[in-house]
Parts: sequence; structure tokens; C-alpha cells
Amino acid sequence: MWALSLITLFISGCDTSDDETPTPTITYHKIAEGSTLEADLKVEVYSTEELTTGYNPLYIKLYDPAGTQINQASINLVPMMEMADKKHASPVENPTSGQAVDGYYKGAVVFTMPSGEMGNWSLKVNIQANGKEASITLPLTIKEPAVSRLKSFVSATDGSKYFVALLQPAKPKVGVNDLEIAVYRAETMMSFPAVSNLAITVAPEMPTMSHGSPNNVNPVHTGAGHYLGKVNFTMTGLWYLHLYLYDGTGEAGKLYFEVNF
Amino acid sequence: MVKDMKTPLLIGALALAVLPALAQHKPIPADSIRTILLQEVAVTTKQHNHQQHLQEFHNASQVATTEELMARMPEVSFIRRGSYGMEPTIRAYSAGQVSLTLNGMRIQGACTDKMDPATIYIEPLNLQSIEVQTAGAGSMQGAAIGGSLDMKLAEANLADAPTLSGSMSSGYQSAANAILGGLKLNYATPTWGLRASGTYRKSQNYHNGNGEKVLYSQYEKANIALSGKYLLQDDLVLKADFIADDGWNIGFPALPMDVGEAKARIGSVSILRESEDRIWKRVEARIYANRIAHYMDDSARPDLPVRMDMPGLSRTSGFYLEGIASPATNHQLTLRVDASSSYLEASMTMYQEGQTPMYMLTWPNNRQLQSGVAAQYTLQAGAKTQLQINSRANISDFSVTSAEGRDQLQVFGYTETERQFFIPSVSLQASRMVYKKLKASLSAGFNGRTPTASELYGFYLFSQFDGYDYLGNPELKPEKSIQSEFTLSWQQPKVRVQATAYTSRVENYITGTYNPDLSAMTIGAKGVKVYENTDHALLTGAETSVIYNITAYTQLVSTLKYSYAQSSDGDPLPMISPLRNVTSLRKYFGDYLWVQAETEIAAAQNRTSERFMEQPTDGFMLWHLRAGYQKQTEKKVWQLNAGIENVFDVNYREHLDWGQITRPGRNLFVQLSMGF
Ligand SMILES: [Cu+2]
Repeated sequence: MWALSLITLFISGCDTSDDETPTPTITYHKIAEGSTLEADLKVEVYSTEELTTGYNPLYIKLYDPAGTQINQASINLVPMMEMADKKHASPVENPTSGQAVDGYYKGAVVFTMPSGEMGNWSLKVNIQANGKEASITLPLTIKEPAVSRLKSFVSATDGSKYFVALLQPAKPKVGVNDLEIAVYRAETMMSFPAVSNLAITVAPEMPTMSHGSPNNVNPVHTGAGHYLGKVNFTMTGLWYLHLYLYDGTGEAGKLYFEVNF
Repeated sequence: MVKDMKTPLLIGALALAVLPALAQHKPIPADSIRTILLQEVAVTTKQHNHQQHLQEFHNASQVATTEELMARMPEVSFIRRGSYGMEPTIRAYSAGQVSLTLNGMRIQGACTDKMDPATIYIEPLNLQSIEVQTAGAGSMQGAAIGGSLDMKLAEANLADAPTLSGSMSSGYQSAANAILGGLKLNYATPTWGLRASGTYRKSQNYHNGNGEKVLYSQYEKANIALSGKYLLQDDLVLKADFIADDGWNIGFPALPMDVGEAKARIGSVSILRESEDRIWKRVEARIYANRIAHYMDDSARPDLPVRMDMPGLSRTSGFYLEGIASPATNHQLTLRVDASSSYLEASMTMYQEGQTPMYMLTWPNNRQLQSGVAAQYTLQAGAKTQLQINSRANISDFSVTSAEGRDQLQVFGYTETERQFFIPSVSLQASRMVYKKLKASLSAGFNGRTPTASELYGFYLFSQFDGYDYLGNPELKPEKSIQSEFTLSWQQPKVRVQATAYTSRVENYITGTYNPDLSAMTIGAKGVKVYENTDHALLTGAETSVIYNITAYTQLVSTLKYSYAQSSDGDPLPMISPLRNVTSLRKYFGDYLWVQAETEIAAAQNRTSERFMEQPTDGFMLWHLRAGYQKQTEKKVWQLNAGIENVFDVNYREHLDWGQITRPGRNLFVQLSMGF
């Protein structure tokens, strides 16, 4: 062993360690702010990424008129798309806890289309805090991402329209990646309940070389319409993430996401 | 050999070719016969001697590459994927099972497709000798089951008075329209010496026996070797050597890719003490480092849906310490301690018009540390019997060094990539003069080898041989072998005959096993094979060689070999040479001209591996004619070598040639050299 250790010392001089993983730092960008008429609460909406069609976590900060942060509140989000002839909401996840974490109330909105000539998005934030109720409507701009992260299909089994959002992998790598999707059913124009009863299979494919990858783990429901699994990429490049969705009666639909890295 | 020379001025590039033969003309006094015999009784040196005779004989065609020289040794075969970079095998053992070293230094190839065995970094111009050790004696060099192949580099000389000598040579081969240029300079003083040599080769696509041009068989390379020697004390020498070898535009007709560039930088510093009056008669220590960079691409190939680049890099450094002692009369002990560390990485990037490049690590960055202690003890028991024990204890540690690399292997569920292997080996050899000059040697022992980086960590490595993508398996066990070898030899200056039969059983034999659950990555691949330990494999065979000095001016050399190998389920192993014979008859006309006729015969190989869907190969017979002429003036030695290989333009391939690519047809070669 002495020789091994000697040689290791001898070599380590020219070997740069590539084992360090930088600790990720989250930066919150303020995307909208305003004050409510009723209680003069200041509302700030933050996001870590630019808002795009698909699943977007949103972080809300509240301040009382004195400028003190409010860490105890119940918040309800209502996204709304105003179009020429109609308006509609979209799937939403309200903050689950009335307690702010690091000052933020975390929720999420699944924007189903981008802002543009078709119409404009707004976000109504309903607040119950310090025994008062207040609300504010803030305009938002939603962009279409380079690679789509939201798909929809009409179920072959119940005829409803379903939205499927890809949450993970957000930063794909060669190797094993977390796979997270969220599924919602368009019940009405205003109601999009999470869907928890699906069985989903995942099949990655590299279309330019027509091969797949082994040992993927099919996503299973973990709560609130979220399904968690694993997806493996054996190289960088363009991949199709094929998803097959089954409900109790059979295959409801199939679709694929592009993952390009 | 240098001692045999009539004048030290004769260190021409071609001196090697003719001098041994000239030396044989001298009647050998009775004393020297005994000297030779004594040497020969030490079995390892005996084997070398026999090999040396063959090497010296076949060195005749100096246009040859080191590979071609080695191919004449009955123990050695080459797996051929192109004109260049052939992979040496000993008997039926392939690269991973053989310890291949250069001056005792480990060099790891940087190519995932084994296109760069260390043999390509040595040119005949800077090669002093090749040592092939088959039985347990190979364990001095490393943990291997197939023996060892060590190439010894030519060294600088010392001389009583400052002397400058050298040679210039140039050659041509018609089949590949190939040219060769070589230059060697030697400066010797009483206390120090320097040697520098350079070789340049450029070979075009060759023509096969059907007159067809074999595309992508070209190559070009330059090799520079420097070596220095400094006498520190009477018995203490400091040596340093360095090789730079650059190859480019190297075609591989049997593969889908070629090598754009291959660079090797190999250096070492060593110190040597030799003194007859000490117990440790010879002690040598060497530290070394080398770096091999290899760039494969398919830019020369037409109409491909996807373009690929596959660069690889290998860095190795290490040391060894070796001593030879005579604890008592007729006892000899050789001890060796060595350690090395190698870093390998290789990647593949595929490009398709308008698409994101597709990148993966084909060798996830990995490191191999190995160290070993080896001992050889030889006991001369009486005038006729000799016993020898060889042993080695080897430990090695493999691991994947980058997070990126570990991520990739996790796709297959391998969360732990670090492996440690302990490989012991022991062999015993007994030799006895059984009748007059007939000697019998029997050896038996066990040894092992670690899996290679490709076998442990390879990631979708495509093999053109069977058309599958190969995946490494970090859970492999080492291969273990028990083996035995029996040699009969008759050694006289007039006739040297040696016949060897060997057999070995390899446990945990590593081979690719088809996994139908995995889909191939490479376009056109048939599927995926994963390296696995299989039950066992049996390898057996025999070699004979004869050197017969019919008269003082006529010499016959003939070698015959046969190997038989199969896996535990009875399937023949792939890449096994058929019965093969090479016979040369050389006649000297005076001391300066010789002519040689040679036949090369290979039987058909119909015992082919079903598992690898290996194709059978037809038998063939080739004729070669060679001649050499030497002219000596007061200051210079001129040498001319010329000949015709494959005289009858036979369109043939060896069984170990990949991809049904046939070899060169009729080839005229000529080489002229001037030594001063
Ligand atoms: Cu290569």
C-alpha cells in the first residue's frame, strides 16, 4: 500500500479535482407588485425564472401599511386570461401553509398559453391577514419557452381535456434525472382540479438516433396531481420524453416532451 | 550484439540485420558453447535467446514495422483493424490479458477501440529487443494471465574516445506506395553518451491481391527517440530517455472511424548499478511518465447520417525498482517492486445538421492505481537440473473520478464504482537436460488479471467485430488462470529446435453477454452486450521453431503454431489463429550478399465463435523473396535490402483481421542505408 499512496501523492499534483459541486443559490426576481385598496397591504410577486407557459412556482411577499412583513396569512391565487371573446383561468397551487417561509408564501400557477395578441394574463391575489380580507389583481407577461413544457390531450376514455406540465428535469444531465410531472383536468373554464388516479409510463427516445435509455422509473402519484419518477439520459442532445397515461378504463392519452441539452 | 561487431563504426540502421548472421560464420570455440549453454540453462534467458535468434533473423527486412517483426515470433499474433496500430496477442490472449510494457513501463492506450497498443511507439530503429515471456515468468512485469511482452529501447553508448556514429536510411514499398526515412545519431564519450533517432513513414492506401485499392488504409507518422547516458561512478549509470511519436491521418478500413491524430510522449529516468562483486549484481530504478492522446473521427467517410468525434486521453506515471542478487553459487534472486497510476478519459460527440451535439463519456474519467511485488528465484540443482519459482502479489484500485462519470454509470444502477483487486500469482518451473543437448522444462502455476477500464466502466463502446455496443460492468471479478507449459529444446549452434505445448484454464472469463433489455446506442448496432464473468474458458496449443544452419552459409528458420480455445459451453473463442507455418531459407553468397526465400502458410480457420458470429477464414500460402547486400568502405557501411512480398499476388486475409478486409497483394520493397 505504501507504493500506492506514494504514487497517489506523486500524481495528485497534476490532477485537478472535478468532484466539487457548487451549492445552488436561488435568486428571486420581482415580477409584479402593488397595494391592495382594502387594507393597503403591499403585495410583491417573485419568481426564480422568467414566467413561461407551463408550471411556474410563484413566491408572494406581504407587507402591512407600516412596511412590516406579514408572515401569517392565507393566500389564494386566481390566474385569468382575458381573450377577445372569453376568459379562462388555469391550474393553480395555492400556498399550503399560512406561514411564510423566509418571508415567502410559495404557490404555483400552470399558465396554459403565452400572453400576446390572443389575450393577456393577470393574477388575482386574495389575502386574509390580520383578520382582514383584501385582494389585488396584477398583470403578468407569460412567454412561450423555447421548448414546450406543457402539453394537453383530450382523454380517449372520458373525453375531458387534460393538461400535463413537465416540472423535472429542469436541468437535465447525462445520467439519472428526477422526473416530475403534474396533471390537471379542465373541468370548466374556471376549474382545473389535479388528477391523481393515473398510471403513467415513461419512455425516453433519442429521435435522431432512434434509441432509448434503460432503467427509467415510471412516475407515480405523490400528491396534488404531481407524479414522481426517474428518467435516464445516456448522452446530451435532443430527447423525446414519451408519456403514456392510463386511467381505470385504459389509455387516456399519450404525448411527449422534448428535452434538449 | 554490439560486442560482436568488428568495428564500432558499424552501428548502421541495418547492421542488426546482417551482423548476427556474419557472426555465425565464425567457428564457435568449444568454450563459448559452454558459455551459451550455461546461459541457456537459465530458462528465461534461454527463451530470450531463442526469440532473439528469430528476431535477428527477421530483422532483415528493415522496411518492416515493429509489428511485422513481432508477428514472426511464434507466440505472437496481431489483431488487425488497419495497416497500423495492430493489437498484439500472445497465443490466444488479447491485450487486456497480456502485460505490454516498454522498458518495463506501463503505457495505457487512449483509444476505446484498442487502436493504439504501445507497440506502435517503437520503431525498429530504436528497438533493441523484444522479450516475450509466456509462462509464469511473465509475472515479473505485471499481473497478467497471457504472459508479458516487453520492448527494450536502444540506448546511448559509451566509448573510450569521443565518437560520432550514425546512419541514414530510406525505403519504399510498392503495395501501399509507402516511403520511409530514418536517421540515427550516436555520440559516445568515456563518461556520457547521447543517442537520437527519427523515423518518418507515409503510407497510402494499399492494393490487395485483387488489385483493388483498400480505402482508408493509409497512415503517416513521425517518431523521435532520445536517450542519454551518464556514468556517475564506475558501476553506476544514470539514464534518461524520451520518445515523441505522432501519427496522423491513420485509416482503419475495418472500422467505421479513422484516427485524425495520435500523440504519445513517453519519458523516463533511470539509474543502474551493475557490479559482479556485490551480492546485488544489478540494481535498476526507474521513474517514468507518459501521456497518450488519441483523436478518432469519421470525417473522411462519405454520407453518414451522424458525424462522430471520439477523443481519448491517457496519462500514466510510475516507477519500478528491480534487483538481481546471487545469494550463493548457483542461486539467483530477482526482486521487483513497481507501482503506477493511470488516468483515462474518452468521450464521444455526435453531430447532426441542425441538432444539439450529442455528447457522452465513453470512458467515464477513471483512475487505476496498481502496485506489485514480484520475486523470481532460480536454483541450479546440479549440472543438469534447474528450478525456478516466480511469484507476484499485485494490488490495484480502480475508480471513476468525476461526478459526470459516476452519473452515467448510475443509469445502470452502479452506485459504487471503486474496486480493489488483489491478484496473487505463483509458478514453478523445472528444467532438466534429459539427453545430451535435449532439455525438458515443465512449468505450472496460477495467476490472474484485473478487468480493463473498458470492461469495468465502458459506456456504449461499439465493436465493429460483432456489431454490438459494449457496456462495462463495475462488478466484474478478476480473471484467474491455472496454466501449465511443457517445452523440449535441442540447442546446438548448428540446430536449434524448440517445441512447446501449453494449456490453461481461465476462470471468470470476461466476455460480452447480450442483454435483450437494452437498446443499442450506435446506429446500425445489433444490440448491447454487457461484460460479464462467464464460467471458464480453455486455451491450449503448441509452437515449434527450428533454426538450422545447414551449412555455414545456408540457414533455415521455420516456425509452426496452433491454438485451440473454447468457452465452457463448447463454443470456440473468437480471434484464434489457425495452424500457421513460416519457413525461410537464407543463403549467403560470401559475406556481403544474402538471398532469402520464404513461405507463409496458414490453414483455414473453421472453428469460429458462434457467440460472436465470427466468420471462417480460408487458408492461404504466400511466397516472399528477400535479399540484402552490404558494402563496407573505410568510413561507411552501405546496405541495400530489397525483395518481393506476396510474390504471387494472393488475395488473402488472416483470421485475426477484422472486417473481411484483405491484406496487401504483391509488394516490392527496397531500402538503402548508410552507416558511418
Ligand atoms: Cu481509436
